[in-house]
Amino acid sequence: MTAAISTAALTKFYGEHRGVIDVDLEINMGEVFGLLGPNGAGKTTCIRMFFDFIRPTSGTATVLGLDSKSDSVEIRRRVGYLPGDFVTYEKLTALELLEYFANLRDGNMTRARVLAERFNLDLSRRIGELSRGNRQKVGLVQAFMSDPEFLILDEPTTGLDPLLQQEFHKLVLEEARAGKTLFVSSHVLSEVEIICDRVGIIRDGLLVTVEEVSVLRERALTRVEIEFADNVSAADFEAVEGVTDVEVSNHLFVCNVTGSVNSLIKAAANHTVNKIQSGQPGLEEVFLAYYDSANDRVDGGGSDAA
Amino acid sequence: MLRNVYLKTLRDSRRSILYYSIGSVAIGLYVTLFYPTIRDATGFTEFLEQLPEAIKALMGDAETYTTAEGFLNAEIFSFMGPMVFGIFAIIAGMGAIAGEEESHTLDQLLANPISRTSVLLQKAGALMTGLVGLSIALFVGLIVGSKIAGFSLSITGTAQGILSLYMLGITLGLIALAVGAATGRKGLAGGVAAAVGVVGFLLDTFLSIVELLDPARFISVFYYFNNSDVIINGINLVHFLTLVGISAVAIAVSVWRFEKRDLSN
Repeated sequence: MTAAISTAALTKFYGEHRGVIDVDLEINMGEVFGLLGPNGAGKTTCIRMFFDFIRPTSGTATVLGLDSKSDSVEIRRRVGYLPGDFVTYEKLTALELLEYFANLRDGNMTRARVLAERFNLDLSRRIGELSRGNRQKVGLVQAFMSDPEFLILDEPTTGLDPLLQQEFHKLVLEEARAGKTLFVSSHVLSEVEIICDRVGIIRDGLLVTVEEVSVLRERALTRVEIEFADNVSAADFEAVEGVTDVEVSNHLFVCNVTGSVNSLIKAAANHTVNKIQSGQPGLEEVFLAYYDSANDRVDGGGSDAA
Repeated sequence: MLRNVYLKTLRDSRRSILYYSIGSVAIGLYVTLFYPTIRDATGFTEFLEQLPEAIKALMGDAETYTTAEGFLNAEIFSFMGPMVFGIFAIIAGMGAIAGEEESHTLDQLLANPISRTSVLLQKAGALMTGLVGLSIALFVGLIVGSKIAGFSLSITGTAQGILSLYMLGITLGLIALAVGAATGRKGLAGGVAAAVGVVGFLLDTFLSIVELLDPARFISVFYYFNNSDVIINGINLVHFLTLVGISAVAIAVSVWRFEKRDLSN
């Protein structure tokens, strides 16, 4: 089967400045893939190369099996694009803009109207008068309106209110269920966790790792707080499997746990436990683990995958 | 008007086309209505012959100045016309690609299945169409004005003069478009094209009196535009085709550079 995206040593320098370096990425059809990284890591650089807005310094990228440079028009016919900050002709009304972009494709506005209604978007307003959220909705409608088989979304929910973010996540999941392929870049980790099957983590232009979300979650750190009836010492827990970053003050105990908390619970049971609290393991922690190169909390697995 | 990039561009510039066309009609009327006053003034030709060379270079041939075509040649086709057409074309040209890029709308336009070359050519087409509007307006202004003022004006001469003016506008507009498409910088695009126009004007008028600089008029777009006094003598095919050639090169360079470079975000 053709890959949705396949890159080979994809590299981009802006003059002296690093864009991305030697990115090898393989995204399958039907997959929801998340590209995770802080601002400036190279997410947008990758996406702009997929759409041929910029050209690789070296290496190649194919989208839907088509060469990003020579088959760009065909790629853009078949792929929907939504950037994080959807900027377009401010003087046009939302309806005029959508009609214009529809005309540059197949002229079909049916789905645009359905989506506009769903997202409660007033099409008669001028783009320039719209709030950030509503402008982003227009972007969303134009990206999805041609019902493309593949969608590339660059930080799509930046600046959206939580309700709209939720609505957006629902749409993405629906599309995924309908068999569409999605590529979503984000620095909102919880978002990627909700909608993606697989995640690539990019840092300083390097693709650090690519993992199933479930695997990352397993590797996720859980923050555990235990209030004991008596004073405990850090030494009692430091050797326990998966436990790191132990902090103890009198009978309050705090630590991070990698993977299962089973061993910690068993160790804690040697004492009288008054209260136990734990944060949901989130990608946030995985993410931080990958980033915190000074602290080697994540061993082996991550760097092997890269 | 939103069927394609060409029509969208025309739509965006509809007000500008309208205002510049009104301006073109206005200068056409103004000059033709003013002409009888000059024609009937006694001793005007003698007066002109006494003027310094520099002023004569600007005003054209003293012998023909008091004829209708000669007057228009000096008034419309040496300064006012090129100014109106040039400014319109340069603004349209610099906005075409660089303008979209600087206002960050180019990415989203090019996320649609349309090639860069097609966007560029459609925008160039819209620029040329806009200038047709100005040309018709000027023609109407001149012909109607001459009728009101009650003198006869060579229709073919006027048409050819305007055709040459149209080609000057295209040349300046496409130079602006080319610099903008090659660099993505609107200000630079406008600046280069305006410099080509202004320097060209000076080389073909005031500076041509300086003997040393006289050969340099061959690099002036104004030389090819109207050195042969088109409204009086008709189109000089070599000069006209030179402007066509410069425009063709500008388009070719635009496409070549625009297709090759990275777009700024």
